Amino acid sequence: MKVIIVGCGRFGSELAYRLYLAKHEVAVVDHVKDAFNNLPADFNGRLIEGDALNQDVLHRAGIEKADALAAVSNDDSLNIAVAHIANSFYKLKRVVARNYDPQVRPVFERFGIQTVSSSIWGAQRLEELISHPEIRPVLSAGNGEVEVYELFMPSTCAGIKLKELFNIPECIVVAVTRAGNAQFPDGDFILAEDDLVHVSATFSGIEEVRRRLNARAEV
Amino acid sequence: MFVVIAGGGRTGSQLGRLLIQQNHEIRIIDNRKDILSSVHHELPTEVIIEGDPTHPDVLEQAGIQHADVLAACTTRDEVNLILAYFARSQYNVPRTISRVNNPRNAWLFNELFSVDVALNQAEILASLIQEEMSLGDMMTLLKLRRGNYSLVEEKIVEGAPGIGIAIKDLGLPESCVIAAIIRNGEVMLPRGITAFKADDEVLAIVDPQGAKQLSDLLMSPVRNNNHNSHNNHNGH
Repeated sequence: MKVIIVGCGRFGSELAYRLYLAKHEVAVVDHVKDAFNNLPADFNGRLIEGDALNQDVLHRAGIEKADALAAVSNDDSLNIAVAHIANSFYKLKRVVARNYDPQVRPVFERFGIQTVSSSIWGAQRLEELISHPEIRPVLSAGNGEVEVYELFMPSTCAGIKLKELFNIPECIVVAVTRAGNAQFPDGDFILAEDDLVHVSATFSGIEEVRRRLNARAEV
Repeated sequence: MFVVIAGGGRTGSQLGRLLIQQNHEIRIIDNRKDILSSVHHELPTEVIIEGDPTHPDVLEQAGIQHADVLAACTTRDEVNLILAYFARSQYNVPRTISRVNNPRNAWLFNELFSVDVALNQAEILASLIQEEMSLGDMMTLLKLRRGNYSLVEEKIVEGAPGIGIAIKDLGLPESCVIAAIIRNGEVMLPRGITAFKADDEVLAIVDPQGAKQLSDLLMSPVRNNNHNSHNNHNGH
């Protein structure tokens, strides 16, 4: 794929390097030349110094033939504007943007831009690690609105039916793994200690799982 | 009208003052401390909203939901662009005006970002200067917003080729209408049979081509000669 990265700070350079290692053709745009120093020495993509709103700069980066663009500077307004240009003017297949200031997030949504809010996402992960180390997110869909979590069943849940613990709106059990064997269980499945359960849930869904696990631990 | 202005720099605050004088209601948004302190000297406190204009809650605090016009006057083009789009699509603001800071970004200030009117200061100035240079003493008084027409003024110098000929016989193009003549301090409305005199001030509505022809008729003969000899040089 031909990919354009706008913004070559810590975030942009990391993304550019990953895409480069994955054998994509990468062009990086930044208006500050020194920003390219963030890239590892063995990065071998194209570097375009200039203002990403300037049509010449976009053309030099190859936007007319690009497959994807990621607007990941630390300036939300620039990210939105560039992503919108890539979407609506150049009709790129894949356009993604990074949201820096969480308060600007609704503007990204109004533009219909696929967005990752780096600070919200990071804070959410850390909060989970601090408060609930036993429930671990293994996959994030979208911007973390729905995630797949894995959790080991404590002894307090042994012997009860799956549906007693997981009949929760916005939460679906996708697999139970016992002694290395995964199965696709129904609601009458009897849980055992140390079963590894994968659930797909929203934030409120997983909150309810936590509440029930805590309630059982206290009994 | 209720106008929300984003950016309290020189353009934004000047616009705010002007609109308040004309009894419009305004809110002006900025989050830069130094700018805010100068805006507070110029405008009443109740119209100033402190905050980042790209934060929806700040826009709502300014009353964007009820705005008739959004004027995005910040010094950053990307902000002026996304504000116009957001104001239209989120709050249905009927009219959006955005300031172009860097003329190279002018290509974006259109329906792509829901910008109804783009104010490109550099371009306006440059084209005015260019006109002033190419049309001798002709002065542009007013650019008519629709179409390509301007109201211009020119003083007729002694010996100009158009003197003494009835206006109807000057062979003026359709895109040039003589609107008024100021003679000895009095305004007179010209008829077809009126003829120009030296020292008349002529007001005309013209497009660029009409301006050129009018200018040739009213130009001093000396300059006209220079002009011709210059053309001859080019010819050889």
